Amino acid sequence: MRRLAAWVLGGCAVLAAAAPWIAPNDPVSLFADRAFAPPMAWHLRDAEGWHAPFVYRQQLTDRISRTYVEDRQQRVPLRWFSAGRVVAIDPGAGPLLWCGADALGRDLCARLLHGARLSLGVALLGACGALLLGAILGAAAGAAGGRFDTVVMTVADFVLVLPIVYLVIVLRATRPLVIDTAEVFVMMSILFAIAAWPDVARGVRAIVATERTRDYAEAARAAGAGPVRLIGHLVPAAYGFLRVELVLLMPALLVAESTLSFVGFGFDGASPSWGGLLKDSETLTAMYSAPWLLLPAVALFVVVLALQALSGAGATISPGVRRASAVDIAAPRR
Amino acid sequence: MTRSRLIRLVLAVALAVVAILVSRRVGTPQPDGEAGPRRGGRLVASFRTEPTNFNRLVEAQPVARLAALLTQATLLRVDPNSGAFEPRLATAWTGTPDGLTWTFTLRPNVRFSDGTAFTAADVLFTFQALYDERVGSPLASEMRANGQPLQVRALDDHHVVLTFPVPFGPGLTILDSLPILPRHKLQAALDAGTFRAAWSAGVNPADMAGLGPFMLQEYVPAQHMRFVRNPNFWLTDAEGQALPYLDEIEVAIVPEQNAELLRLQAGESDLTTGGTRAEDLAMLRDAEAAGRIRLMNAGTAIDVSTFWFNLTPGAKAVAGKPWLTDESFRRAVSHAVNRQAIVDTVHLGAATPVYGPITPGHGQWFVPGMGETPFDLGRARTLLTSIGLEDRDGDGVLEDKANRPVRFSLLTQRGNTERERTSAVVQEQLRQVGIAVDVVALDGGGLVGRFTSGDYEAIYFGAQSNSADPANNLGFWLSNGGFHYWNPGQVTPATEWEARIDTLMQQQAATMDRAERIRLFTEVQQLVADHVPALWFAAANITVPVNARVGGVTAAAIQPPVLWNAERLYVTSERR
Repeated sequence: MRRLAAWVLGGCAVLAAAAPWIAPNDPVSLFADRAFAPPMAWHLRDAEGWHAPFVYRQQLTDRISRTYVEDRQQRVPLRWFSAGRVVAIDPGAGPLLWCGADALGRDLCARLLHGARLSLGVALLGACGALLLGAILGAAAGAAGGRFDTVVMTVADFVLVLPIVYLVIVLRATRPLVIDTAEVFVMMSILFAIAAWPDVARGVRAIVATERTRDYAEAARAAGAGPVRLIGHLVPAAYGFLRVELVLLMPALLVAESTLSFVGFGFDGASPSWGGLLKDSETLTAMYSAPWLLLPAVALFVVVLALQALSGAGATISPGVRRASAVDIAAPRR
Repeated sequence: MTRSRLIRLVLAVALAVVAILVSRRVGTPQPDGEAGPRRGGRLVASFRTEPTNFNRLVEAQPVARLAALLTQATLLRVDPNSGAFEPRLATAWTGTPDGLTWTFTLRPNVRFSDGTAFTAADVLFTFQALYDERVGSPLASEMRANGQPLQVRALDDHHVVLTFPVPFGPGLTILDSLPILPRHKLQAALDAGTFRAAWSAGVNPADMAGLGPFMLQEYVPAQHMRFVRNPNFWLTDAEGQALPYLDEIEVAIVPEQNAELLRLQAGESDLTTGGTRAEDLAMLRDAEAAGRIRLMNAGTAIDVSTFWFNLTPGAKAVAGKPWLTDESFRRAVSHAVNRQAIVDTVHLGAATPVYGPITPGHGQWFVPGMGETPFDLGRARTLLTSIGLEDRDGDGVLEDKANRPVRFSLLTQRGNTERERTSAVVQEQLRQVGIAVDVVALDGGGLVGRFTSGDYEAIYFGAQSNSADPANNLGFWLSNGGFHYWNPGQVTPATEWEARIDTLMQQQAATMDRAERIRLFTEVQQLVADHVPALWFAAANITVPVNARVGGVTAAAIQPPVLWNAERLYVTSERR
């Protein structure tokens, strides 16, 4: 199971990294005659027999009910490694829409792949930031003990009770009206790191505080090791915990990004992210007659499931450690 | 925690799917109301917002208008489809040749819902409250002619004389929005300065009285308003049967549009009072084919969202971007926007491309072809080059002469699907000519705040209008108007063409000759087309869904599109 999960995550990472070449279309290009167009199907065979993979051109027959039919008069062959794409079709045959199109006729596959870069990227960076911050502060608190330990843990408690979603709104209000995608990416990563470090710090602190009473730590101290060097000896004991925290934080932050983008405080429509894409599927119509708009939710589900599966063993290593979740980060704490 | 959230997510999706499947199966087709009006029964409508006040004179929100339409009556009514006057509380009216003085004969033997007789004193009281500064009525400005109040006096209990201070083009049409209020219930509140609070949301319905077809029986916050038949309603149908036909109308408060649609699909509501999204029409068509609902065509909307740049001289927000206020830039933007693509994608074809604020829904005020700027990227690029905007570094984005990128922010209303999607289309289409647009969706309050403070570069937004007559919309046309979007509240007109529009609009508002008014207004539209102060893209075709058991429906392109004629609605069968 863990191997499968690793393959899934690896595959997602490759798809996200190679999005500009794999996506058949530009993620912001509009195709006016493809609003809510369904996914195109691959074909290998027609009345004349077997062929190399091909598709049929979509024809809009009723705009209001968004009825599309395949033009079976002519096969449209797939062109591999042409026009800078892994696969494409003759532009005259219309756009190639593997996953269908959204309400504005934008290629959902392209938006999903490009969105993965932002969503996975911000979750990974946020999780790494939280681990770094939490490990440093937790280790220092655990090793030093006393007043410093109390102060760090009090700050951690304070951050834990902060209503982060309102902080995001306030923070957004202090920034200019227009901020570019890179700045949103960095801001969101920093915010996630700040919101998630206390859980990491608590775990690391507990491990380090226990380890510092062990013989090897006493020996190091007796040999004249200073505080920094001593921490260097103690922190490796928390590596397992940090690995588990990484795979636990990733899904939480992934969902948090989706939540923030969904409510309009994340990436805008010109920079697709999975949360932003989910906004298009919030209407009843999307579920009723354009269910492919729920693909971002499916992608989110699969990635989160894979991350959970990957962290399965970790859950038994540190059962008592409180885990950050999307609710903790994107909603007021209860 | 994460797992429990996942479980909740899966459960929510499963429930939604089940709800949709169930909604597609429930409800047996009902016969249409071909048998003629049937007396009795209960109709359920839905509305998205809560009332804060039931007094139309102090509350401008659509929900207050709805409550007033159900519970109050006016002297006369303008049929929203034909534009013809209908006698209401006044049975006849005669005017002097100059159109300044009108004598109204009030309907005899009319009683308020509490049994008190209606007299001319109630009409005088209503005008007194309307113009009372302590009341601060939002209706007061539109009930003035050239800024001056109308004079009203009573000849006797059943005759009143209304005098316009100056010739006024819209004439008596303005009376369509003025409900006549009960003097015996509200005079004390007006005298005490508590008129605004007298019929606030917490009012005891027994303290209210009206001349409308229904009476408020109950308001349960966040749930519903219940209106029951007014036994003293004074109108009968052609067969002499007393109106209204319905015993009761319940207006359920359903803030969420998807929930509103589900209720309609499942037969829990008979009609909605908000707009219908184009993308929902396919689902509604299926329900119509199954015989559960009927889709009524109410014509082309008269409210069109407006795209405008901040043209206020010296506005800090546009400092350093002189091209934003250049007429050629606006014209280039107009040529670069493919309106048909907006109609096809945002409205799924259920709209009409427009090039000005006047749509085919405005009837005789609409001039076909006026100001058309065909989609022409070549022409747009030529215009941009003519004002020094070129792609100097080859990055796909134009730069001005100071080498600054041609980039602006476009504010729009968050949650308004039509506006958000149109903004996204405009963003992508302007990218084709090298103009970078940052779309920022703000909540309604934040957007209006930016507009009133002048802290914006461009906005795509609009206000609701219930009158096709341009003279009832002077706040938009006059340079000193609050809704003169691109440069509101000017002390003196900033441009010659705006000064000319001011003159023309004042002339046409003060002219009683319809043909002359149309001629003057056509010239106004031409000036707007020549100077492109703002852009308009598409006017929606309004479709109203109603349950198949509801009869007597005359849909109109106003709010509320069905309940404006509530007394003539009936149901052909009882609710399940």
